[in-house]
Amino acid sequence: MMKENNMTMETSPEKALQSVKEETGSPDQRSRSEKEVRQEIRFIKKETMTCAKYLRRMEELDGMPGALQPFLDTLRAVYVELKNPLEKYHQKTVGTYCVMAPQELVYAAGAIPVRLCSGNYTAFSIGDDLYPRDACPLVKAVAGFQKMGLMPVYRDCSLMAVPVTCDCKKKIVEMLEQTHDVFPLSVPAGREDEDIDRYVEELYRFIDTLEALTGNRVTWDLLAAGMNMTGQAKYELSRFLKLKKSMPYLMWGTHILAVMNAAAYMRADAWSFHMNRLNRELEKRIEKGEKVTSRNRPRIMLTGSPIIYPNMKIPLLIEEMGGIVAADETCMGERGMSDPPVVVDESFDGILRALANQVIRPCSCPTFVNNKERVYRILQMIKDYQIQGVIYHVLRGCLVYDYEYLFIEEELGKRGIPVIRMESDYNEEDVEQLRIRTEAFIELIRLKQAA
Amino acid sequence: MNKRRTRIVTGMICLIIVVLAYFAERFPFYVYEEEELHTSLRQFFSVEHLVRLQPFLIVIAMAALSIRICIWIRGFLLPRDQGDRKAANGKSVKLRKGKRPLFMTVRWIFMIAFSTMVMFGGIWCGFILAGIDFPVLACPTNRDQLIESSCYFLSHLPVLFEEYSPTGIVLFFVSTIGFALLLGRTICGFLCPMGLIQDIMHVIRQKTRTEGISMTQSLYRRLTSIKWIMVLLMFGLVFAGGEFCSFCPAIVTSPVLAGMKVSIYLSGFMMVIVLVGSFFKRRFWCNICPLGYLIGLTHRISPFRVKKDTISCTECGACYEACPMGIKMIYTERERTDVTDINCIMCGECVRSCPEDNALALAFAGKKYYTASRAGLMSGFECDPDPEEEREAE
Ligand code: SF4
Ligand code: SF4
Ligand code: SF4
Ligand code: SF4
Repeated sequence: MMKENNMTMETSPEKALQSVKEETGSPDQRSRSEKEVRQEIRFIKKETMTCAKYLRRMEELDGMPGALQPFLDTLRAVYVELKNPLEKYHQKTVGTYCVMAPQELVYAAGAIPVRLCSGNYTAFSIGDDLYPRDACPLVKAVAGFQKMGLMPVYRDCSLMAVPVTCDCKKKIVEMLEQTHDVFPLSVPAGREDEDIDRYVEELYRFIDTLEALTGNRVTWDLLAAGMNMTGQAKYELSRFLKLKKSMPYLMWGTHILAVMNAAAYMRADAWSFHMNRLNRELEKRIEKGEKVTSRNRPRIMLTGSPIIYPNMKIPLLIEEMGGIVAADETCMGERGMSDPPVVVDESFDGILRALANQVIRPCSCPTFVNNKERVYRILQMIKDYQIQGVIYHVLRGCLVYDYEYLFIEEELGKRGIPVIRMESDYNEEDVEQLRIRTEAFIELIRLKQAA
Repeated sequence: MNKRRTRIVTGMICLIIVVLAYFAERFPFYVYEEEELHTSLRQFFSVEHLVRLQPFLIVIAMAALSIRICIWIRGFLLPRDQGDRKAANGKSVKLRKGKRPLFMTVRWIFMIAFSTMVMFGGIWCGFILAGIDFPVLACPTNRDQLIESSCYFLSHLPVLFEEYSPTGIVLFFVSTIGFALLLGRTICGFLCPMGLIQDIMHVIRQKTRTEGISMTQSLYRRLTSIKWIMVLLMFGLVFAGGEFCSFCPAIVTSPVLAGMKVSIYLSGFMMVIVLVGSFFKRRFWCNICPLGYLIGLTHRISPFRVKKDTISCTECGACYEACPMGIKMIYTERERTDVTDINCIMCGECVRSCPEDNALALAFAGKKYYTASRAGLMSGFECDPDPEEEREAE
């Protein structure tokens, strides 16, 4: 199998560990025992290897647009070369753990937001021992990184902003507090007017914290600049989605997920810049009628728990087994950035309200009390991207997404759209089982197509 | 508990409004010894016209002062003071947003043109379409207007029946009800001078970046009860021996601007309230306007509709935030494709701010004339990346 014998290393783990130590200085100066050092080397070795492998599998999909490279390079820098790609800006970074911490505010305060939700298998295996068995793998992976303290992107953060959404997110606050300043951002569970008001107040508190961090007073102009920065990124994304709607086989879904994942570690203006290039390249492709696949592959939509690099096994399986991920409705994917804030009142308060509104109302995250709107979003996407089947991804332990499966299955069933639930964890033990299920699902769609 | 308190407060406000309206004439704002209800083109372009504008200018000055005081007081009441947030930080940044859609330009042109016609049309054009009555709040004390507004007779029904011949009465009702049926509250969004004035106040607030009042449904519900009191007053005051026109704020606009000498009582103070209110809350008066409510009654049959695609809507609430009338149903609705509400003034703000293609549209007799589009909403971002970024990215 290709994944076993392709384990050449880009960087030697000892060297990487050395450079990490030199560049950032270890958080605690206590001398490490031999055993700890060995453990660290093992960690880095495994971590870089897995991440490099998934990058390679992504690069092996043919028809990769050239403009995609910078996004993959960012992922490589963070997880394989263990660098902090944001270092070059000489600004403080603020770690966020969900789309519900508005990046605009971080930019306005003169810092850079970085999204730290993790999909790392190696970190997960460490976090697995720290957290209850049924905790979600995402937070276990975060805990693993936190414990090892070796990742520059995690370590360099001056502040962690944790939106308090699901139970697991609530509990990582305490854990993060051991090493970082943490701002728990309360997110209302409902979407009534009063909830929005409360969230606006919360955003003011967030601004205060950010101001204390960077020493900048967030004025109207700075806020507007922050809004423009992410607005540009959202504009480029909307352009991209429009292109994709016009042709479902324009790009591999795995690649799109990589682009969206890379946004977590790139400053918004750099991301939009590369996105603009990608859009221009794709426009040319459309003109020439180029596709990534000549066959009429089943168009599959991925929804459910977030798909975070390097946990790309499900989209990769789908595309390696003959399907294509034509759309995704996950928070690390396009959902996180596709809703633009609509400023209808240009006062400072008005802009914050627009932000609050955009974060709370259109978000189809199942942590909200009433989330029926998600089904409509999925239906609309099925129409826009001509989806033939839906794969519902559930991370083991992610209860909120699991809850919604039944309702969504029922609604999609009524409309004759096949849907399956795929549970997975952050390791490669379940790959074979997932492969069989994916294959069967794709076959099912093929049969339907033929009929 | 809290609910009860707001109810009591609302009740008190309604009571105060009724009492004030009844004794409106005891509150002189600007009273002439002898009124003069005639103007001419010559007078319009003379210095005297400026003198006659006095009451209007006083209202504006008072409103400006009140707004300043309100902002000042709010600075004390709100723990988070935003005064210094407005200060520019060296370089001034423009908040990027969608370009103004054609629809909005047309709407403003309509509002300005129609308001001008109602005020000065007769003087300028030299002929009057007497008998054609539009149900808008523009004071018809000024008989020189091109098109009349029907509010005077609606609030003085006995006068209508006494003074007019049967044909006049029929013409009045046919034109008034006809327009209400045909146009619905598009009248409010496109034609009414009071609407124009309030929209101007809103624009001023936007330009000065002043924080407004964020409304909630419970606040809107309070306004609804005040609106019913207003309807009651409009029709009932004349029978109880009161005078609605001494209370109605619209009298400060068209007759005064046209250069007539009309005495103004409580209306002047009302107008100050309207200006201040609509500064902080867009179309504040329209939320309690009795005439607007009456036109709204035709919303089931009027050919102007708000249409919604219930699947493509993401419930982002942008339309609700933008709606000056606080119509929540427009964003929560998932069943009906027709979301025309009794309060909807067809202003199109919801369509303008809707980010989902085709999710919302305004339609006339089934034909959509203004449709939501993401490209339109984000048109302000259309540009090639900064060359500076390009260098950085290399
Ligand atoms: S939403 Fe699900 S995946 Fe995300 S942190 Fe919560 S439990 Fe984990
Ligand atoms: S609701 Fe507003 S726009 Fe309509 S008639 Fe009343 S004041 Fe005029
Ligand atoms: S629903 Fe739309 S058109 Fe109607 S008043 Fe509200 S914003 Fe204006
Ligand atoms: S603005 Fe459009 S998408 Fe958003 S809630 Fe309103 S109709 Fe739905």
